[in-house]
Amino acid sequence: MTKKRTGVFVCHCGTNIAATVDVAKVAKEMAGEDTVAFTQEYVYMCSEPGQESVVQAIKDNKLDSVVVTCCSPNLHEKTFRDNAKRAGINNFTCEIANIREQCSWVHNDKAKGTEKAIKISRSVVRRVNRNQPLDSIAVNVTRRAMVIGGGIAGIQAALDIANAGVEVVLVEKQATLGGRMLQLSETFPTLDCSQCVLSPKMVEVNRHPNIKLHTYSDVQELAGSVGNFRVKINKRPTFVDPDKCKICDHCTVVCPVVVPNEYELNLTARRAIYIPYAQAIPASFTLDEEACLGLNPIVCGKCKDVCEPDAINYDMRPETVTEDVGAIVVATGFDLYDQANMPELGGGQIEDVLDGLQFERLCSASGATKGHVLRPSDHTEPKNVVFIQCVGSRDPAKHCAYCSKICCMYTAKHAQLYKHHVPDGRAYVFYIDIRSGGKGYEEFVQRTMEDDDTLYLRGRVSKLYRHNGKVRVMGTDTLTGQNVEIDADMVVLALAMVPSKGTAEIAKTLKVGRDNDGFMAEAHPKLKPVESVTGGIFLAGAAQAPKDIPETVAQAGAAAAKVIALLSQTTLNRPPLIAKVRRSHCTGCGMCVEACPFIAIRLEGGKAVVNEALCEGCGSCSATCLRAAIDVKNVTQLQIHEMIEACLA
Amino acid sequence: MINLQDIRDTARDMLAKGEVRAVIGYRRGSRGMLAEPAFITDPAQADELVWDPTCFHNLSLYLVEDRKFLAHLRKTANAPIAIVAKGCDARSIVVLMQEHYFKREDVYIIGVSCEGSGVVDERKLAPRLNGIQATNAAFDGDDFVFTTAEGEKRIPACEVMADRCLECRNPFPKEHNLAFGEDKTGRKLAEPFAALTRFEAQGAGQRWDSWSRHFDRCIRCFACRSVCPMCYCDECVVDSITFPVTAETTADEKANRIKWIERSATRSENITYLMTRAMHLAGRCTDCGECERACPVNVPIRMLNNKMEREAREKFGFEPGASIGGPSLVATFLDTDPGDFIR
Amino acid sequence: MSEQQPYEPRIVAFLCKWCSSAGSDLAGVSRIQYPANATPITIPCTGAVSPMYILSAFNKGADGVLVSGCHIGDCHYIEGNYLARRKMHLTMELLKFIGVEQNRFRMSWVSAAEGAKFAQVVTDFVNDLRPLGPQDKLKKAVRT
Repeated sequence: MTKKRTGVFVCHCGTNIAATVDVAKVAKEMAGEDTVAFTQEYVYMCSEPGQESVVQAIKDNKLDSVVVTCCSPNLHEKTFRDNAKRAGINNFTCEIANIREQCSWVHNDKAKGTEKAIKISRSVVRRVNRNQPLDSIAVNVTRRAMVIGGGIAGIQAALDIANAGVEVVLVEKQATLGGRMLQLSETFPTLDCSQCVLSPKMVEVNRHPNIKLHTYSDVQELAGSVGNFRVKINKRPTFVDPDKCKICDHCTVVCPVVVPNEYELNLTARRAIYIPYAQAIPASFTLDEEACLGLNPIVCGKCKDVCEPDAINYDMRPETVTEDVGAIVVATGFDLYDQANMPELGGGQIEDVLDGLQFERLCSASGATKGHVLRPSDHTEPKNVVFIQCVGSRDPAKHCAYCSKICCMYTAKHAQLYKHHVPDGRAYVFYIDIRSGGKGYEEFVQRTMEDDDTLYLRGRVSKLYRHNGKVRVMGTDTLTGQNVEIDADMVVLALAMVPSKGTAEIAKTLKVGRDNDGFMAEAHPKLKPVESVTGGIFLAGAAQAPKDIPETVAQAGAAAAKVIALLSQTTLNRPPLIAKVRRSHCTGCGMCVEACPFIAIRLEGGKAVVNEALCEGCGSCSATCLRAAIDVKNVTQLQIHEMIEACLA
Repeated sequence: MINLQDIRDTARDMLAKGEVRAVIGYRRGSRGMLAEPAFITDPAQADELVWDPTCFHNLSLYLVEDRKFLAHLRKTANAPIAIVAKGCDARSIVVLMQEHYFKREDVYIIGVSCEGSGVVDERKLAPRLNGIQATNAAFDGDDFVFTTAEGEKRIPACEVMADRCLECRNPFPKEHNLAFGEDKTGRKLAEPFAALTRFEAQGAGQRWDSWSRHFDRCIRCFACRSVCPMCYCDECVVDSITFPVTAETTADEKANRIKWIERSATRSENITYLMTRAMHLAGRCTDCGECERACPVNVPIRMLNNKMEREAREKFGFEPGASIGGPSLVATFLDTDPGDFIR
Repeated sequence: MSEQQPYEPRIVAFLCKWCSSAGSDLAGVSRIQYPANATPITIPCTGAVSPMYILSAFNKGADGVLVSGCHIGDCHYIEGNYLARRKMHLTMELLKFIGVEQNRFRMSWVSAAEGAKFAQVVTDFVNDLRPLGPQDKLKKAVRT
């Protein structure tokens, strides 16, 4: 190895660095390093003349490596690496020593600051001594996308991507597309019918030549990285061939098994063989394996007997499908906060205390009561209905700290719908604040209060219990300071939105982070609101945070646009700072294979081999290897060793 | 109670039929009562095999040596090799297989259960024999029986047994092709980690006082490393003098060796060496105790490994050498791993 | 150096690139002052910190070693900090076991948004190290 010729460029950053770090001393100390052939200080290294002087110095002094001691590498690493390239040397032989954010700005004592700046700079010079020239890795892009979740977010993203001419694989856990929106009755602030606006989109997805649909399926495994993911999907058996099923409904008539209907939020029952909704896509029945008496003609077999098109096949088995895609949109939606967490409100055990989605089903023409608002206990029309907002939301001590954002609006909608169904009824709403930001939203709430004569009570409800065939609501009106007791025929809780069941698992499978509340984490709260922290994986809808339908559709469109932009490239450049095996030291023990979060290492002929397309350069392998037989390029153990030495010199 | 003849018959039979190319076992040594490792290839030698309380050696070391020798000769094995393995030794073999050092079919494990007993600790025995050399040692129920010039001496096994055997709960080689002796998994002659617990009960200052004395004594002879089946690396990361130079070795690789510590046997370097070794054995050491037994200057090396083993078991629910397909300690994690030490 | 100069602990701080290094940048941008005792070495991930780095830093004379990375669940590489948590736990326990003062090794989770926390972590560490005096247990003896 010939000795490096390193240039060290010390930036004053005006007085940002120079005021608390003796930049001349840093330059002088660095000049004393064995491999440093040139040093220079300048008032603004990143200015046009500053950059030019770096390029010139590299050329004039035949430098092969560059250390710029300046601000954080997040700001100007690219700037100076580009300059290195411009000067004709490899860009990866240029490194930044951060003596501003990590030094001059945080230490007023000039002597101590200077001492630390020298240590930082020296350690980076030592590191650069052993930097290898590297080239970015070009990888081909698979021009295909996957959307996970078939609710409104997933449907919108899939349609937008498919309409741009990119093939989309849409994966839905349930037996039908539609998600939560399909369960809604009408939507705020226009009170247009949810199914009427959603169904055409569902049909379009089903018929779209660029969309491949997997319902009743779960994402099981993800390998690869941006541009080239390989996803394994588990397709659960429906035991009904959707191509043959004529949805004649003969099977449900004969099926002897009755179980709660989860699509109707357990307000009604269904058979073991069922179709979630009349509008389900795919339009086919599903046989619930757990509920069925045994998928066995000897035990029952009634549905198979009556099925004229012979669509029922008890021998269907789970199937694993592998799909290669270049980008993924995660739109796994939300669930409601579990009522069991609120014993003071009955913990879900009090009759006629419903959650918001159940109330939607009561109002829906396709729902259990065919659109008549009837209370579940005795099927009478409720004359007093209490709506409670912020149930589980905005309660950092006991429940969810965040605002679920849509509850003010849908409670107002519920009150309106109720009053339209039962004009002589009385609607009460308990609220903390009314948050009605949004186009037409405030006006909508005002209509609820004024036109539909809903009584808004500012305060919390402390207790619910069954009393004389009614639900006694014990609350407070904080505006009058009075306690309020209402004997309600029905109570509707606006429960907090939480990430859908299985979000933790899917986040782990996809290797995308989650925030403190369990929602999928965006890469940057302001500038990257639809990107996940993992390249090539985007977020849409309530999986990322509580949001309403228009926002969800907008985010889905944004995610789709990101996917289309990504997939419009034929190759992607990946940073080459990836793992490299020292074959002579590798014993093939496989610990790196086990440690690698990206399944990027395999054993081949008794040695570890790195898949350069998959390696992200995290270094977990290197820290795990007992023999220092695997290293991340340009962040090798030897380099760290010498940096440690420099820090303590 | 194991019938020694069964082990001998098995060895003879397998060698005669050519089912294995060698049997690694124990035979009577040339130094008093002590058994020594035996590498038997001739069926006639099978009757030399012994099984007694001085069979300390973790013979899996020789599986490693065998592999290295074959690699050196550029040969592949034509038949498996049989090995007599105690519970701890068999777990070492499992770890070696976890690490793909050889395959299951490459070894034939003749498991021997230590049953309710274990191996003798010479340091505990010496004062009991008043300095007289024994010429033979034997298991007999709960006792060890030693043959000396002054006749037979019977001592309750627990009084002169190695600490690790007293503390061992898995005296039966779970992984085996054939096993002799009773499976007494879960037995409890002493609390697990009892010696460690006693040592740890001292304050940090006292611990440092004793460790600094131990570390000062270390002569860096590397007997601990040489005797350890898990220390199979061609080059030890803390001792780059053993750097393997092969046809593939580049000049850069030669130049880029990391010198984590100095070779001089000074306290700081000895500490760093022994701590590194403990870290590298974490989740791999099966507490065969050979490092400590081999140490010529009585450094309680086992204590370091034992400490790691206890942390792994108590904090991560990890048992070294539990199964061939099992996870490695430091390359895996659980969501429930403790994190309360992190700020 | 004059004898009157107070003892200044020397700390090597391994900071992950994505969270703690970015968090220390934020401390800088926010001009939050903290002691200059910790020299940062930016590494891709706490998962890349080999126990050898810790031992080596002490061997080369560090009075304290800090490892700081992303909070659990926030790792840019998804699992690196989980692996680090286990490795660093073992390393810390071993150091404690031989009698190295517990306060000489520290690990923290500092996100890119926690500039103030980063400054606090370093400040606390320096304060905890001062009463311990120089670390000489693992430090290589220099022949004079």
